[in-house]
This record gives sequence, C-alpha cells and structure tokens, in this order.
Amino acid sequence: MAKAERFVEADNAEAIITRIEHKSRKIESLLKQYKPVEALKTALEGTYAMTGDERCKSAHWIVVHRTIMAIKDVDGMLSSLDPEYYDILMKYLYRGLATGDRPTCDQCLRIHEKLTEKAGLGCILRFLTDTVNTV
Amino acid sequence: MAVTAVHQLAQCITCHAWSADRSMVALCPNNSEVHIYRLVEDKWEKVHVLQKHDQIISGIDWGARSNKIVTASHDRNSYVWNLERSEWVPTLVILRLNRAALCVQWSPKENKFAVGSGAKTVCICYYEQENNWWVSKLIRKRHDSSVTSVSWHPDNILVASTSTDGKCRIFSTFIKGVDARDPKKESRFGELIVQLDLSSSWTFGVKWSPSGNTLAYVGHNSVIYFVDDVGPSPLAQNVVFRDLPLRDVLFVSEKMVIGVGYDCIPMVFAADERGIWSFIRYLGERKAVSSGSRYGSQFSEAFGKFYGQAKLGVSNDAVETSRTRGVVHENCINSIIPLSRQGTQIRRFSTSGLDGKIVMWDLETEQDLLELLVH
Repeated sequence: MAKAERFVEADNAEAIITRIEHKSRKIESLLKQYKPVEALKTALEGTYAMTGDERCKSAHWIVVHRTIMAIKDVDGMLSSLDPEYYDILMKYLYRGLATGDRPTCDQCLRIHEKLTEKAGLGCILRFLTDTVNTV
Repeated sequence: MAVTAVHQLAQCITCHAWSADRSMVALCPNNSEVHIYRLVEDKWEKVHVLQKHDQIISGIDWGARSNKIVTASHDRNSYVWNLERSEWVPTLVILRLNRAALCVQWSPKENKFAVGSGAKTVCICYYEQENNWWVSKLIRKRHDSSVTSVSWHPDNILVASTSTDGKCRIFSTFIKGVDARDPKKESRFGELIVQLDLSSSWTFGVKWSPSGNTLAYVGHNSVIYFVDDVGPSPLAQNVVFRDLPLRDVLFVSEKMVIGVGYDCIPMVFAADERGIWSFIRYLGERKAVSSGSRYGSQFSEAFGKFYGQAKLGVSNDAVETSRTRGVVHENCINSIIPLSRQGTQIRRFSTSGLDGKIVMWDLETEQDLLELLVH
C-alpha cells in the first residue's frame, strides 16, 4: 500500500515539475521582451499549489530566483504587483537571503527593504510563523 | 480624539476589569496581587489590595450582576471574591490543574466561569449550593497546547477557546442542574461542537459578536480571522494586515471589531453589506512619516544595520522615542474591555497594556466609524 502511495506522490511531483518547466519557458520569453514584472508574477502564481516535495520546491525556487535577479526597477515592480503576492514574495526573498550568494543577497535585500515598506512588518511575521507552506 | 482618558496606574498591567457602575477598576500590576482603584474626584485611589495568589495573576473578570470578582493565576488556582461589608473575601476554587491558569471569564448569566490553562484544558466552574463551594469540571477534549483565551456565547452554554496550537475550539458546557435544558440544542458537557483550523500560528483573543452569530480571533501571524454562521458549515475569512500581531479583540457592534496588540494603537475592522470584513483604519493618529523614522529609533537603527546604511545621521529620529509608534500606549496592549453598552453597540471601551496604562476610548468623536456602526 505504501508503495502505491509513493507512486502517486511521485507522479504528482512530476506533473508539477513539468508545469514549472512550461512556466520557465514562458518566463524566459517574457524576460527577453523586457517584461520582468510580468515574469515575476508568472513565477509566483500557483506556488501555493505545491506539495512538500523538495524537488518541486527547488524547481520553483530556481524559476523565481531567475525573475528576481532580472528586476531592475524595484519600486515599479512593487507598485504593479498585487498585494496577494506580497507574502509569497517575502518567503522567496528569505530563501534568497539564506543562500549566502553575494549578488542574490544584494538583490533580495534591496527588494526586502521596499517590500517591508509596502507590506509592513506583518508580512515578515507571516513568513516567520508559517511553518506549513514553506518555500 | 477617540481617547477620553489615560491613567498610569502601575508599571505594567497584565489584565483589568471594571465594576458594574464603572467607578472601580480591578487590575493586576504584574505581580500576585489585585489592586482595586476607585475614581474619587478625578483622582484614582487604591481602595483594596487582594492578596491571596502566589504568582502572577493572568486573568480577572468582574461580574456586573453578581458583583463577584474571579481571578486566575499562574499558581494554578482561581479565587472568587465576594464583597462582604467592605472587605473582599476570597473563596478558593480547586481547578485541579497542573499548569498555570491563563485566562478567565464569567458566563453571561454569571453562574459559571471558564478558565483556560497551560495544561491544555478548559475548566468550567459552577457554584454548588448544597456544599457552598465552586466545583470545577474539566473539559476532557484537550487542545494540543496552552489555551490562551476563552469566550462565552450569549446563550451561556457554548464557550470558544483559542490555543497556541493554532486552533479555535468551541465546546458545549451544558451542566445538569445549572443550565436549563434546551430541546433544540441537545448537547453534552464537553462536547466539541466546532474545531476551526484556520491558523498555523498561535491564536489569541477570541470573542463572539453580540448575537453569537460571528466569531473573531487573532493569530500571531498578523492575521485576524472572522467566522460567520458558526456551526456545521461556517464561513471563514482571513483578514491580513500590515502590522504587528494583535492580542485581543472586541465586537463593538455586530459588524465592527476593534483589535489591539503589539502595535499599541487599536485597529478597526468592519464588515460591509456583503459581509466581507476588512481593515478600516487606526483609532487615533498614527504619525504618517517617512519609512525610517516611523518605527522609532531602535527599529530604524536595526533596519539601518540590516540594509547596510548609516541611518543614524540621516534622519533625526534618534531624538524620537516610542511615541512614533503609538500615540497613547507605549507598549503592547494586551486587553480591551467594554465600558458602556447602548443596545448591542459598545461606544466606550478601555484598554490596558504592558506600559501600565489604562486608556479609555470613546467612539462618539469618530464620525465615520459611528456611521459604520449604525448600519
């Protein structure tokens, strides 16, 4: 029985990873058209439907990381981003800060400052307390 | 301004409760005593000191009809105080807890009271006439963690409790001999009616609306949860807000809630015609300043270090103290108590906090909120 369950889990994960690959192609094309904000929105969409599977999380992170690094105008990006994405973006920023990689951290810190101004301390708190939907 | 009075009565207040005529207030100044103050010609005089508990008192409630005070403390005990002549006489209530009592509330009819504890249980205590003492019944179904707050439904039977396991559980506390049997709602004592699993973080401050149709409680993740039509198919709403978490809430009407917490200013939430709850505004001014100084000098220094900039020289907020955060309260507000009722609406209420202040608020001056109250 347990084996069958694991099969289903793996299928689910495969399906999600395929979806992420589709998304990443779409994002690449958006970035080529100099639309980093659209790319970020596409990357952040649907992240809540993720499983706890580590591979899905990593795949998602790679895609979001790509779009975060492509952002040049942070203020513009935040003003056109829907407030419902603030919490999930904050979670990815903290994941970026945890990597320790200099350019990633610089970019994430820059966005973190503006996002905190916009979304408030509550956003940070929601990242800290949410142990169920981690990225 | 919505604030009518600010009273600095102690260094730090854990909880407070008002007498029925609002002339006296009982509070715990963060130690094992209850101090009762009376307002005598504009000045507060300490008229009674209730000393019986061994440890800090975490909850006080003053029954408006019975004029009895119930206190619950970290020493795992609860006392019911009766005013005899001019002395408050305590009666010990054996709660049978092996952990601290964290919150207490009289039921609407004041024949029972509920105590939430760190032993993951809720105790319901009622008075047994024959033996002249208060009996405690533990609700067998336990939470998974400490019970932080309890609140009675207007029907005197249901009690809602929040816990640090993130869940809000509603129990029936029907006791034969104390409650009248209701043929419509057959329920046994301790029956779990609804379990609300909306939050993944600690929950506090549960309250029922005046009709008992809506429930509100707050999570430590800066979200406030509203549940309409509590029952087999409840409608839940999460309202996310931008600031530090709340600790307690109060329904000032069926459609408006005031929340208080770590941000030191009360926040007003209201439901529109469709029943969708949202944040309206703060009560009292919140200084609309630029990003750096709004958090006060300590915060901006911390953020300055975080962002690698020298914020010390840039803004002049080194001079500003915590006044930029809250106008009135300087530290976390941990309870909000109604002061006066007009029908089912509450126009005046008081808040107490860790800064030792009790602040009285009046909504009469807030025109826009009054309009929302009326509808």
